[in-house]
Amino acid sequence: MLKMNNISKLYQTEMVQTHALRDFNLHVDEGEFIAVTGPSGSGKTTFLNIAGMLEPFSSGEYLLDGIDVGKLNDNQRADCRNQKIGFIFQGFNLIPDLNLYENIEVPLRYRGIKASERKRRIEQCLEQVGLASRAKHLPQQLSGGQQQRVAIARALAGEPRFLLADEPTGNLDSLMARQVMELLEQINRDGATIIMVTHDPELARRAPRNIQVVDGQLADFTLYQGAQNLKNVAGA
Amino acid sequence: MLEIKPIFHALCRSKVGAILLLIQIAITTAIVSNAAFIIQDRVAFLNQDTGYPEHDIFKFNVMTFGQDVDINQQIELDETMLRSLPEVIDAAMSSSIPLSGGGSASDFSLKPAPQEGLSVRTAYFFIDDHGINTYGVNLVMGRNFSEDEVLVTNNVDKRPSVTIVSQTLLNELFPKGNGLGQTIYFGETPLKVIGVVEKMMSPWLKDSRPDNLAFIPYINAKSLAQFVVRTKPDQRDAVMKEVENLMLKNYSKRVINNIKGLDELKNQYVAADKLMMRMLIVLITILVLVTALGIFGLTLFNISKRTKQIGTRRALGARKSAIIYYFLVENAMICGVGLILGCIAALLLGQLLMQHFSIAALPPSYIAGTAIMVFVMSLLAVFGPAKRAANISPSIATRTI
Ligand SMILES: Nc1ncnc2c1ncn2[C@@H]1O[C@H](COP(=O)(O)OP(=O)(O)OP(=O)(O)O)[C@@H](O)[C@H]1O
Ligand SMILES: [Mg+2]
Repeated sequence: MLKMNNISKLYQTEMVQTHALRDFNLHVDEGEFIAVTGPSGSGKTTFLNIAGMLEPFSSGEYLLDGIDVGKLNDNQRADCRNQKIGFIFQGFNLIPDLNLYENIEVPLRYRGIKASERKRRIEQCLEQVGLASRAKHLPQQLSGGQQQRVAIARALAGEPRFLLADEPTGNLDSLMARQVMELLEQINRDGATIIMVTHDPELARRAPRNIQVVDGQLADFTLYQGAQNLKNVAGA
Repeated sequence: MLEIKPIFHALCRSKVGAILLLIQIAITTAIVSNAAFIIQDRVAFLNQDTGYPEHDIFKFNVMTFGQDVDINQQIELDETMLRSLPEVIDAAMSSSIPLSGGGSASDFSLKPAPQEGLSVRTAYFFIDDHGINTYGVNLVMGRNFSEDEVLVTNNVDKRPSVTIVSQTLLNELFPKGNGLGQTIYFGETPLKVIGVVEKMMSPWLKDSRPDNLAFIPYINAKSLAQFVVRTKPDQRDAVMKEVENLMLKNYSKRVINNIKGLDELKNQYVAADKLMMRMLIVLITILVLVTALGIFGLTLFNISKRTKQIGTRRALGARKSAIIYYFLVENAMICGVGLILGCIAALLLGQLLMQHFSIAALPPSYIAGTAIMVFVMSLLAVFGPAKRAANISPSIATRTI
């Protein structure tokens, strides 16, 4: 479903060039749950941003669902993000001036879904994350864990095939973190492919597949779990 | 694309900046629409037709100090000399000068004083049968004075018997339009209306009756007299330069001064109006600029405050156009409310001005025009910052905490 071949990302600032990713190769199949770990500054966020089409890459080839991402224009990338990808951020990134209902509605409106269908999906997603009674609350009235669950509901509402999470539990205590992790596992069981960056080794271990990014590349000692993943190694 | 409801809700939840801007827009609309109307009113006033070819006419004063001359006779000589100049169309002594701000006025009545009758305030000039031609005004009914109707005298008991009046004056005294040939009273002196001029303005453009004027054929020259000369087009300057010498050559014991074009006199008279008009133009320009800057600044501020939110929206699938649209709609909402308040305020301000100053009622078209202008300007002011917002990278969403 996701194929990255020799992806490189070069950040050019006045003083320094940073190779955030170098000849990065990765294949991800439909339905996988991957935890990405690695030292700070190794390029995990960069990888996730490129996977989510939030940033362009410098060279290489990236196919998502068979679409050559490098050939899309800005509007096409925006539409593709909207339809295929759900994002979960470390800082939750809820819009402070919108209540929970309206926050979840944001990506649905960009997709042009009509109001009755939006309502159905939002209510269903709020139910799923256990916040149905709080639809009219503003984000600042919720705890961090609750906010992250809303953010997950927002990511789910568009029924994306692909969920990208950058340290979704980074701002949460361990209890909250475990709740969020359980939610993600549930979502994965329902069919979504998930890539999650995390610093928490315990959470990473719960994911069926672990990859480690070191210095802009997949580390050699990346552990693969399961026969399906072994197949990927052969493919790469 | 229609995101109006959430934009409105978001706006309601952080409204301080919006309210300030809204008030500014309201004030701008109220002031600009009224000021624009006043400016237009002044422009119409300054550009009005006075009935005179102002650029071809000039006046000068003659102050005679010599005692060895009969002034009435001398004036006839002077007039003959002036009229014979090739550049001059006609010349006459005139007791007052139109558009100059100085002159005489009186009540002209249908009954001799002290009887009470319909009476109308009007300016009047003592002038001879060359007055019509010298002032270049258009005699539409009746006839000019004949030479023997012009009373040249030093005896104040003698009275003239005819008059030529402006159309508006006659219409006011005789609304039925049968004024020509009738007798009106200048104090107790009966004057028969023998001619009607289409349009000639009095010395006071700002008078409540600026176009009521009567010519009375009476010449009783004093040591201080005023002359009016009309030249052929473009030859006025030359005559104005020469006139002092020519007059002194005729008789030297006098002073010729105050040689001024009719247009110059008018400009002096309306100088305050022009100044007010310029100040108003400056005022509304500044107001509009400040409002535009306010909108521009608030949008920039909102964008920097919402950088992360914009990045997140982009990550969630907003196209660049959706971001621009967001800010345009938000601005249109603020502006819309501001304009509604502004229109109400404009009406109230207009009424206030009407009550306290002699200003006509503000026509709604001025409010509508100003509102449209402010709206368009606000969209222009917001467009640049909104485009900048649209260029915020979606990666901001993961790169900022
Ligand atoms: N916009 C940028 N301009 C220049 N350099 C950048 C930019 N973004 C990231 N980098 C650099 O790219 C490298 C990889 O950054 P990245 O954010 O992907 O690391 P990370 O693995 O997510 O780190 P962390 O675990 O701390 O979040 C870092 O050296 C970083 O300094
Ligand atoms: Mg990171």
